[in-house]
Amino acid sequence: MGMVQKRKKMHYGDTHLQRRWRVRNRRRDLDQIDEDMRTRSGELINQSVDLDKPGFAQFYCVHCAKYFIDDRSMQAHFRTKVHKRRLKALETEPYSIEESERAAGRGSFKQPKKRVIETQPSKEEAKAGKRIKIEEKPEDSNDMEEDAPTTSAKKTRKRAKKAET
Amino acid sequence: MRIDTCYFCSSKIYPGHGVHFVRNDCKIFKFCRGKCHKAFKKKKNPRKVAWTKAHRKAAGKELTIDPSFEFEKRRNVPIKYNRDTWQKAITAIKKVTEIKERREKHFVMERLRKGRQVEIQMDVKDVQRNMSLIRSPAAGLRERRAKEEAEEDALMDEDLPEEKITYVDARELEKRLEEGMTEADLEMLES
Repeated sequence: MGMVQKRKKMHYGDTHLQRRWRVRNRRRDLDQIDEDMRTRSGELINQSVDLDKPGFAQFYCVHCAKYFIDDRSMQAHFRTKVHKRRLKALETEPYSIEESERAAGRGSFKQPKKRVIETQPSKEEAKAGKRIKIEEKPEDSNDMEEDAPTTSAKKTRKRAKKAET
Repeated sequence: MRIDTCYFCSSKIYPGHGVHFVRNDCKIFKFCRGKCHKAFKKKKNPRKVAWTKAHRKAAGKELTIDPSFEFEKRRNVPIKYNRDTWQKAITAIKKVTEIKERREKHFVMERLRKGRQVEIQMDVKDVQRNMSLIRSPAAGLRERRAKEEAEEDALMDEDLPEEKITYVDARELEKRLEEGMTEADLEMLES
């Protein structure tokens, strides 16, 4: 037949990307990390010796979910752009399944909260009982003022609608 | 049978469609199509992708706070089957969706109306700023110049011939005045 028999390759040359997106290469998601920070930051910073992990699981960055071989490399990591970017990403509340349902109209949609995130305490501090704390950023008073009239306006509109129906 | 919501874009997933992904902490992520699944694999944040519901709601493009959203909700409270409640629920669902849709449409129209006002303002400003493109500043320049020249000429004609002015050295004048000359004498000298 006079047709082109060869299959056209649509994703030629993106093998390295496909490998990265494979399930076995999945790293911890932001919502899991958020859970870690809130509930078990102490035990993650002070892990028991695990010979399979880099640095025997003694140097762990909770925010980036990453093991380091020694304290020096971990301190260097805290100064990198990757780490700072992760802190920035964690500043807003992570997206969740519940939020996807709220966005679909099951329950009122809530704006994600803003928080203040700081780099984790050192091992000694963690041993002394210091944990990663997540403070909520105080909201601007302007936002509150804006919210109030819109809701009241909606209420009046709703009443008008009810009268119609 | 249940109609699920997509994790990424919050659209409906009808039976026989989409993919479920169960993470190793037992959370089930449901996706309506490959597009959403791929975006999840790439760790995209749905709040930052413009075509998702989460983005539209967070950006204030759609109605977010309304009591009509409180009806359909995952409550995790078992209810025993009862024919009456079932029938009531069915009628209520129809009415609630009708009201909800109307409110959502109203919200969007209000939003667009505001945008229209802003558009008109911007148009007026644009015209004022770029007036030179609509009407050239040089339009009618020749006529204007001709008019000005004509006016100048008229003024020139009106002017009387200027008085004759003579210039005198101030020191000499003083000297002469001291010598006791009168002004009449001076005039005589000059002439």
